[in-house]
Amino acid sequence: MSIFEYNGSAVVAMVGKNCFAIASDRRLGVNLQTVATDFQRIFKIHDKLYIGLSGLATDVQTLHQRLVFRHKLYHLREERDMKPQTFASLVSAMLYEKRFGPYFCMPVIAGLGDDDVPFICTMDAIGAKELAKDFVVSGTASESLYGACESMYKPDMEPEELFETISQALLSSVDRDCLSGWGGYVVLVTPTEVQERTLKGRMD
Amino acid sequence: MKLDTSGLNSIVPFSGTDDGLEENIHLAVSSFQLPRTTDFDGFQKKAVEMVKPAKGTTTLAFIFKEGVIVSADSRASMGGYISSQSVKKIIEINPYMLGTMAGGAADCQFWHRNLGIKCRLHELANKRRISVTGASKLLANILYSYRGMGLSIGTMIAGWDETGPGLYYVDAEGGRLKGKRFSVGSGSPYAYGVLDSGYRYDMTIEEAAELARRAIYHATFRDGASGGVASVYYVGPDGWKKLSGDDVGELHYKYYPVVPSPVEQEMVEIPVS
Amino acid sequence: MESVFGLVGDGFAVVAADTSATSSILVHKTNEDKIMKLDSHKLLGASGEPGDRVQFTEYIQKNVHLYQFRNGIPLTTAAAANFTRGELATALRKNPYNVNLLMAGYDKGIGPSLYFIDYLATLHKVEKGAFGYGSFFCLSLMDRYYHSGMSLPEAIKLVDECIMEIRSRLIVAPPNFLIKIVDKDGAREYAWRESIKEA
Repeated sequence: MSIFEYNGSAVVAMVGKNCFAIASDRRLGVNLQTVATDFQRIFKIHDKLYIGLSGLATDVQTLHQRLVFRHKLYHLREERDMKPQTFASLVSAMLYEKRFGPYFCMPVIAGLGDDDVPFICTMDAIGAKELAKDFVVSGTASESLYGACESMYKPDMEPEELFETISQALLSSVDRDCLSGWGGYVVLVTPTEVQERTLKGRMD
Repeated sequence: MKLDTSGLNSIVPFSGTDDGLEENIHLAVSSFQLPRTTDFDGFQKKAVEMVKPAKGTTTLAFIFKEGVIVSADSRASMGGYISSQSVKKIIEINPYMLGTMAGGAADCQFWHRNLGIKCRLHELANKRRISVTGASKLLANILYSYRGMGLSIGTMIAGWDETGPGLYYVDAEGGRLKGKRFSVGSGSPYAYGVLDSGYRYDMTIEEAAELARRAIYHATFRDGASGGVASVYYVGPDGWKKLSGDDVGELHYKYYPVVPSPVEQEMVEIPVS
Repeated sequence: MESVFGLVGDGFAVVAADTSATSSILVHKTNEDKIMKLDSHKLLGASGEPGDRVQFTEYIQKNVHLYQFRNGIPLTTAAAANFTRGELATALRKNPYNVNLLMAGYDKGIGPSLYFIDYLATLHKVEKGAFGYGSFFCLSLMDRYYHSGMSLPEAIKLVDECIMEIRSRLIVAPPNFLIKIVDKDGAREYAWRESIKEA
């Protein structure tokens, strides 16, 4: 089994009308054994910027800590929050730094930029950026997520509909994956508010 | 090249022609064609990897005062992908006997059906039902003759015969064990944990069914390759009966109702920067 | 085979581990303490390669002490767990330690807590956790009988059931186990569960 599949994960982000949503599963496993069902893979960088990290749990934690550290330094020096595009470049650079001994995780970055234009992108483990206008997926359930998102996504959804869509896409996808699921976690970000929700899901 | 399995046919009073699979309807298997290859082992290995769904499984069975309880999950997976959530892993061999399925789906289905035929023929020839001991021995002998050829089966044969309840574990290596309590599959250690601690011989049927359900549920929770529906069968003096089939997705929230927690946050105002 | 497991109860946390020191087919001794007392209110249960286990847990213990000497206050359990994770994660890409850890502690105002740290340095706060082959049996047992706010007798009964299950279902099951607890009165040995006495 691949090191990317060691802990199991599913991360997805979607763009709506002046808003975005990012969601992940909550399982922490060791191969087929489920160790915990409240693992966090989505992290806040600032109020309008989130990162979801799929893949090896230890690297998820290490990378998250380093990213928070770098963003704090940026904040001290520049006295402002990072733009999503800038942050994506930072992540990419930090991943490529470890080209010959990579972090075994694939990030999903979602944020609201200037004038609240949503931005989403994903990367491989060594920082190759892949921008998208609609949705991005990552993790062991990524194939199922592509299928679900491809059929459920509509452009310019309002926040409520976006939440419903991303939740349904996540839950139905992880039901086809042994290594992810055990509940879900969704963050919905609009220019004026942030909604965090945990989802009930199948626990098998 | 053909594998001669005629030695296996002895208990069957009549057998069909032995020259091809299609004409031989009485005995579905008299011989299998072997691949025309010099690297037989290598071919076997690849062939086995190709047809290997239903790998992750949890099945269990136990004897108690009132009879036998047989229970299983219903997930079939290929690697990390869940190929089905509604597999019938408890196979009804005849009205008094059940078989469980762990390992290769095709292998299990085929050899259980084959066993069913043999049991029926025994019944017709001897005017009485075959014992669980006899049936499981029949299967074990067949599997033993295919030993080392890549069959993948881990099964329990449970039923009721003239001697009362019977339970045997039979696997593809030719092993056959008589016992009061077995669990087979990737989730079996988890199921054993719950089963061993909750088992008593003098349970009622309801208690026994609940114990089986609980054991399967806890196995599906911890084992990624088990899940779907926890079905429970009971075999008593009057044959088997399906007691229940519960979706473990719902079972979890029945056992552990969601308590509203302060973790869920209400809307938060973002300061405009 | 090595088994370490633990759970959090009402006002205390308990960690249990086997006490066998083995190499391949040989059992060197059956009274090896694998649960280190980090400081007055912290326990660290460890399993893994014997050398790594001793080296790493002692290193963590000494650093936790050093912090206390320098600053006059002890680390919280969460802080100690995060420090341990950091050391393990740094080592992971240089010279990895092959140790799995369960850290249990009691903090004033916070109460008891249990942290799961595997050899890859995955840190997670849990209510119940287990490592090794024993985990396959203990985890489902603990899921079945655990409830939040367990009393000490209840928790010990559950631990004993786990030990019995490991002894009866695991091949090469270790004969002896050691149970330690940590509560407001500190970390201490609670009981041994021995089926072989060492001379």
